[in-house]
Parts: sequence; C-alpha cells; structure tokens
Amino acid sequence: MTVLFEGSARVLLLVHAVLGFTAVFATTHHAVSAFLATIGRPVQRQLQRFGWMASASIVAQALFGLLLYPAYRVRVRFADLERNAPAVVQLFDFKEHLSALALALVVGASFAGRALPADAPAAESRALAALSGCGAALVWAAALIGLYVTARHPVGTP
Amino acid sequence: MRELRTSLWSVSFFALGYLLPGTLRFPTLTYDPVARTVGFTAQVSGVAMRYYGDLLWACAAGLCAAVVVWNSRRSPRPVGVLAGAALSLVALDVAFYFSRLLAGV
Repeated sequence: MTVLFEGSARVLLLVHAVLGFTAVFATTHHAVSAFLATIGRPVQRQLQRFGWMASASIVAQALFGLLLYPAYRVRVRFADLERNAPAVVQLFDFKEHLSALALALVVGASFAGRALPADAPAAESRALAALSGCGAALVWAAALIGLYVTARHPVGTP
Repeated sequence: MRELRTSLWSVSFFALGYLLPGTLRFPTLTYDPVARTVGFTAQVSGVAMRYYGDLLWACAAGLCAAVVVWNSRRSPRPVGVLAGAALSLVALDVAFYFSRLLAGV
C-alpha cells in the first residue's frame, strides 16, 4: 500500500517547515507595520512588501501541508498517534483549523494593507491592525503546535 | 477603503463557511488516502478525510463574498462594525475547535 507523496514526504516536510518560518516572520512584520500605521507612522511600503511575502508564503505553506496530509493521516496519525498519543491527534486537528483561519486572515490583511493610504482614518488603520495581528497570532500558534507534533513523530519516518 | 471592507466580509464568510459544513455535516469533497478515491459525501469513515472539502467550502464562501462586496454599489457599513463581526466569527471558530480539543483530551 502506498500513499500519495509518501516517498517525498521528508522533502515536502522540510519545505513546509521553511515556508512556515517565512510565514511566521512575514506575518509578524506585517502586523507590527499595521500597528505602527495606527499611530501615524508612514509604513505603506512595509505593508506592501510584507503583505506580498506573508500571503505568498502562507499560501505556499498551506499547499505543501495539503500535499503532506495523506501521508500524515495514514503513516503518523493512524499508525502511531491514535494508539500511543490521542491527545496529540486532537492537538494536530486544532492546528489544522487555526491554519485555515490564519490563511484567510493573512491574505485578507495583506490585500487590505497594500491599499492603506498614508492618511487613512483611524478606524481603518485599527481594523487592519486587528486583522493582521490576529492572523499573525494564529500563524504563531499553528507553527508551535506543528513543531511539537513533528518533534513527536515526523512524517516520512517509520 | 474598498479593499479593507472586501477583506473583512471575505474573512467573515470564510469563518462561517469553514465552521458550518463540518458541524452540520454538509456533503463535501472527501479523499481516502489508502483507497486513493475521491468522493462527495457527508459521512467519512476510516482514514478518509474531509479537510480538503471543508477548506474548499470556506474558500468558496470567502471568494463569493469578496466578489459580491467588491462589485456592490450599496452604501458601505462602518468598518469598525465589520471588523468586530469578522473577528468575532473567527473567535467563534477558534472557541468551538478549542472546546473540541478539550473534550477530546
């Protein structure tokens, strides 16, 4: 029995992790820039630059995660974690949901941030900061849970 | 700002579109990684998974909302209300899945 992309799971996991770190730092920078915009600092270029980085890295990371998912499901979850660590299974499911919500928040904040004018009303700057800050927080949480589960049993290993 | 309002509506509908199909067991795209078969059903069993389908529902809801709001000519809602609604729906999703995590541990 072979599972889709099982042979290249370790490479996919490495790329997924590198993109994850990129997403963590890009979304954090975007959130910081959005918060600086609320106090009137000129951060339009940063919002555009980190917006592209954040949305590109999180979409690419999600795609690699989706490619890895069948191998995780069969070789890690059903073969190991469901018997030996059911709490970790629940934790990984929670991480999946956080990642999906983070995807929407980060892409939305990036799209809105690239068009934020220098003289934007305070309510709009604050709304963007809230959107971007929540997205970054969810990305951090998903990354930390992902690292914990991977430390327990990396996909691509017996 | 049209982009911000579109993003907030889109995030709201994404959050709804992500939560409702799973909790109400709507039929969705499923994939069985052992049998390597794709289906469209509300019931998943064994190693079959509905995550791809639930994510597709959410993306479709978010994209439809974005297209409708972007092309809408109605007077815009206050951005603070939209932001509050969008983040409340995201918080509702997080709270629901966190409660499932606690119940399962």
